Amino acid sequence: MRLFHILLLMVILQVGRAWSAEPVWFGDKNNTRMLYINSALDLASFEPILTVFVALYPDIKVAYRDVNTLDLYYQTIEEHKQPEASLVISSAMDLHLKLVNDGYAQTYQSNFTERLSADFKWRDQLFAFSLEPIVMLVNKAAFPGDIPEDRQSLLQTIRQNEQAMTKRIGTYDIRQSGVGYLLASQDARQADVTWGRLLEAFGSHKVQTYCCTHEIIDDVASGELAIGYNLLGSYVSQRARDDDRLTMILPKDYTLMLMRAALIPKSAPNPTDAGLFLDFLLSDSAQKMMQTQGLLFPIRPDANTPNDPYVVNAPGPTGVIELDQQLLVGRDYAKQKRFIRNWEMALEIIAEP
Amino acid sequence: MWQKSPNHQSLSEEEESKALKKAPSLRFRFILAGVLVIGIIASLAINLIFDYSQKLADLSYDRLLRSALLQMDENVGLIRNEVSIDIPWSAFATLAQAEEDRVFYKVESLEQGFITGYQDLNSFPPNPPVLDQIQFYDQMFSGEMVRFAWVQRYITDPETAQTVRIILGQTRLSREEMAAAVTQKAVEVVVLIALVAITLIIIGSHLVLRPLHRIERALEERVMGDLTPIDINTPKETHHLKVAINHFMARLQANLEQLENYTADAAHQLRTPLASLRALAENARDIGYSNSASPEKQHQALESIVQQCDTLSQTVTLLLNQAVVSHRLQTHRLELMDLLVPITASCREQALTALRQGVHLSLECELKESLILGDSFSIQQMMQNLIENAVRYSQQDQDAPAEVIVQVMEFDLFYRIKVIDYGEGIPESEKERVFERFYRGRYDVAGTGVGLSMVRDIVNHHSARVNILNTEPKGTTFQVDFAKHRFDGDNQ
Repeated sequence: MRLFHILLLMVILQVGRAWSAEPVWFGDKNNTRMLYINSALDLASFEPILTVFVALYPDIKVAYRDVNTLDLYYQTIEEHKQPEASLVISSAMDLHLKLVNDGYAQTYQSNFTERLSADFKWRDQLFAFSLEPIVMLVNKAAFPGDIPEDRQSLLQTIRQNEQAMTKRIGTYDIRQSGVGYLLASQDARQADVTWGRLLEAFGSHKVQTYCCTHEIIDDVASGELAIGYNLLGSYVSQRARDDDRLTMILPKDYTLMLMRAALIPKSAPNPTDAGLFLDFLLSDSAQKMMQTQGLLFPIRPDANTPNDPYVVNAPGPTGVIELDQQLLVGRDYAKQKRFIRNWEMALEIIAEP
Repeated sequence: MWQKSPNHQSLSEEEESKALKKAPSLRFRFILAGVLVIGIIASLAINLIFDYSQKLADLSYDRLLRSALLQMDENVGLIRNEVSIDIPWSAFATLAQAEEDRVFYKVESLEQGFITGYQDLNSFPPNPPVLDQIQFYDQMFSGEMVRFAWVQRYITDPETAQTVRIILGQTRLSREEMAAAVTQKAVEVVVLIALVAITLIIIGSHLVLRPLHRIERALEERVMGDLTPIDINTPKETHHLKVAINHFMARLQANLEQLENYTADAAHQLRTPLASLRALAENARDIGYSNSASPEKQHQALESIVQQCDTLSQTVTLLLNQAVVSHRLQTHRLELMDLLVPITASCREQALTALRQGVHLSLECELKESLILGDSFSIQQMMQNLIENAVRYSQQDQDAPAEVIVQVMEFDLFYRIKVIDYGEGIPESEKERVFERFYRGRYDVAGTGVGLSMVRDIVNHHSARVNILNTEPKGTTFQVDFAKHRFDGDNQ
């Protein structure tokens, strides 16, 4: 219970911080039609899409605010009676699904959502528009030994290069990042033993934890970290493309596939334009744009042709994180508490009782 | 008389179609009744289906819910004397088979309180809790109707014992969808069956009524005066109708035949006296020119004409009476009547006529009343014929006046009427024939030859009995027996 309180306190602090953040505006500022988007999606990846959208609908102005996944979840609950945002976008599928399950979202149906495969939407309230791999990012210069193909070879490298790997591994702080927790819990689900060993290795080598993907990528790029583990494929591929020092690795044993999903809060002030934007995200042009400009990985495979640039294919099996009720299990209160506790113990943040 | 429609003219086409429109339709009633019954059955079936499909959907999805609940239950354990649960992913994978349904759950222990899940979930089931027994129930939660499974059990280890309660719920979307799908299919089938049944009824009604139309057509297509029985093949159900029509036609034919006979009789009866009247008239005319003409002879000739006229008049009356009697016999029911009334009346009527012919007519009767079932007019005609006959054949002896006696006697079961004359009597060989039409024993005596045949018709119609006996020392006695009327309930 004490832990829960601490968590809550942390959340409130962070929500307070998030709310103070100013949104970025797109479109004519004098427009009366306003679409407010809360999103856990880097503006760098989303800006071109937003620009095209306001060009398509010149009488709409868009306010875009970048929020951390966990903050996003609490904020949406907090302001559910009078939400500021009409569209909420997150990569923490589990939190988004829980929001829908707990009745914070409204139903939206259009030709575009109808066309979307049933695997990529839930209850016509939650819509995925991007499916991307979860990858590792390696700084070739900083990484000792061969570039790892999978988790086993990473473990081996860590064991063989204890000195070089200490404090040189970066991953999410699952307490701070919603998507980080999701990825960790899915790792534990996919391969419990490997996850245990990995966690143990991380813990004994003083893994660095971060709130956000970008900081990890930055630190890998600068050579401060040799490897970043469980990073979002879209951001990593953008950086790896431009930076020769970096290599993106899709683990060969299994590659988690994560969806980015959007929902319209129940009392959203402007559900019409939120739907319009959602339709745009799912439209052929936006999906194609995500792929060809290397912004995100599109959800609709038909928008993806092998000749397109930036297409990546997992070398091994993929573990698509399913968008259904199972995600609730990972967010079960008792399970979450235990999982974080085990994580903290493994990472030697708290002592074993 | 016959009953006839006041206006025998056939209805105009317009009136006929109007009448047809107003008339209730057998087919319509039949179809309506069928459709009503089928409609009621179909709606009952659909009602049942609604109920059943709901139950079926609950049954199927409750299995999922139970399975998920048991998987959760299996993962409840005590760690350091504290209840903990590690919900297996598979439990919710099971629930995810109801693709769009929200999931709510709560795990608590009576000792420890809330453990995990949705804290504001109601943990009390509607039925009294029984350990280890899963309860299913519907309850509103989070703005939606939710199907819950509930279980409570003890969990013990050597140091502690706790009661753990697991509540797992799922919204009803998939259930409603499944129920709707089942219902839709079943309703489609029921409606199809109902439509087929109604079609069959419509076709059936046409087939059932076809024999009637056939009889109708057979009657319509008949040539005028065709009274032969209908001989088309009809099913059992319309057989009686056919038989009734045939009987009716037979009766009609009998009536017509009688009418024909009567017309023939009348022509026959009238032709002879007319011919003789003409002869007498010619004779009277020619007397004037002959040499031997005398006023006396002329008077005599004219007297003959007058007599012949009387005879003719009598014959016409007789024929008319016969016609009336014949119709009465056919059209009038027998009624309770006093036999003495017509007998007395006819005796009274005949007495004077008889006396003119030198015959003394007397009625011997000691009865006060004699009830029978009969037709008074016919019996009076019968008596008149018998008395006339007796008077006519009585011996016309100038010295001793002849006598005709009418006697009425009572026996146990019947009344006997005797008409006794002391004439020449009827030879044995002729007794059989006197009742034949136009048979006349002696042609020197005036008569039509119709009277006794009429007597026979009347006697037969009353189921009575007529006998011809010899009177002592000579003469004839007609003896008619009428059955007494027995009152119902009379102990005889």
